[in-house]
Amino acid sequence: MNWTANDMDTYLQQREYIDTLIVPLLKVETKPENMKSSSSSSEFLMHLTTFIETQFKGRMMLMPPFAYTQSMDLTEMAATLSQDLSVASFKYVFFLTTDSKWTSIEMDGEVIWLPSIPLESMDPQLRKSIIEDQLRQVLPRFTEKWSEQ
Amino acid sequence: MSKKVSRRQFMSYTLMGVGGFMASGMLMPMVRFAIDPVLQTKDEGDFIHTQHKVDELSETPIRIDFTIKDRKDAWYKSDVSNTAWVYKNGDTVIALSPVCKHLGCTVNWGGDEKHPDQFFCPCHAGRYMKNGDNVKGTPPLGPLDEFDVKVEDGFLYLGKTKPNTLV
Ligand code: FES
Repeated sequence: MNWTANDMDTYLQQREYIDTLIVPLLKVETKPENMKSSSSSSEFLMHLTTFIETQFKGRMMLMPPFAYTQSMDLTEMAATLSQDLSVASFKYVFFLTTDSKWTSIEMDGEVIWLPSIPLESMDPQLRKSIIEDQLRQVLPRFTEKWSEQ
Repeated sequence: MSKKVSRRQFMSYTLMGVGGFMASGMLMPMVRFAIDPVLQTKDEGDFIHTQHKVDELSETPIRIDFTIKDRKDAWYKSDVSNTAWVYKNGDTVIALSPVCKHLGCTVNWGGDEKHPDQFFCPCHAGRYMKNGDNVKGTPPLGPLDEFDVKVEDGFLYLGKTKPNTLV
């Protein structure tokens, strides 16, 4: 499900089935020399999460990305976010990011870190197979959690 | 001055309201146009040409991807690669939508080892027969949709989805 009013209606009626929350964590760099790579990563992350959503629409809710700039305090953000997200009461929460800083921060939920791949210069076919490949990589992380009781 | 809303004030309030509402309605298509004039959808009924030759199809469903520009329902806009499961039944080409009729996940042919001759939905273990018929006792309540199919110069064209006609 996407974070749209229509999908939300479905979610609110089918909460026992849509039990997984996907939260993109998006680093936005404002130094001119880093802006290109930052935008490329954000493109990658959004493509990937969008693709994951279409594959698992009936089980996952994809949140809008949480964006932050390079100097924001991530520990604090993590704590607040963990707390607020727990109110939504999803059974499984996954954070997806290309920013490796999150791997060392305590979060309620699983942090999945992926190195960003520059998709912008690829033709759509290659891009698709790369994205599929990436999903194949992260898939075990989902299924592992889902199969835990 | 009286605290009551005068007739004129009332009129201007409502007009503003309507005007504002209309303006926002007008703004949205305009913004969309400004962002992606190239992606304005053409004829909705168009068939999409796939790279696949009908000769190469078999009785076993294979996944065929094709691209539809400008997906509108996602929060983040992107062209979406759409997928169909395509196989031959005698001489007829059958293309089924991979969208699970339970809550919309993507189903796979033979995705469950125990049922290699069925479509499988990984989200809540929904299953479908080869013709798209939903297996009773699994979550989906209806059969998979079917694509309109056209063959031209030996190539497969996919059209819109429609309710399953095979079940
Ligand atoms: S979405 Fe396919 S079984 Fe629930």
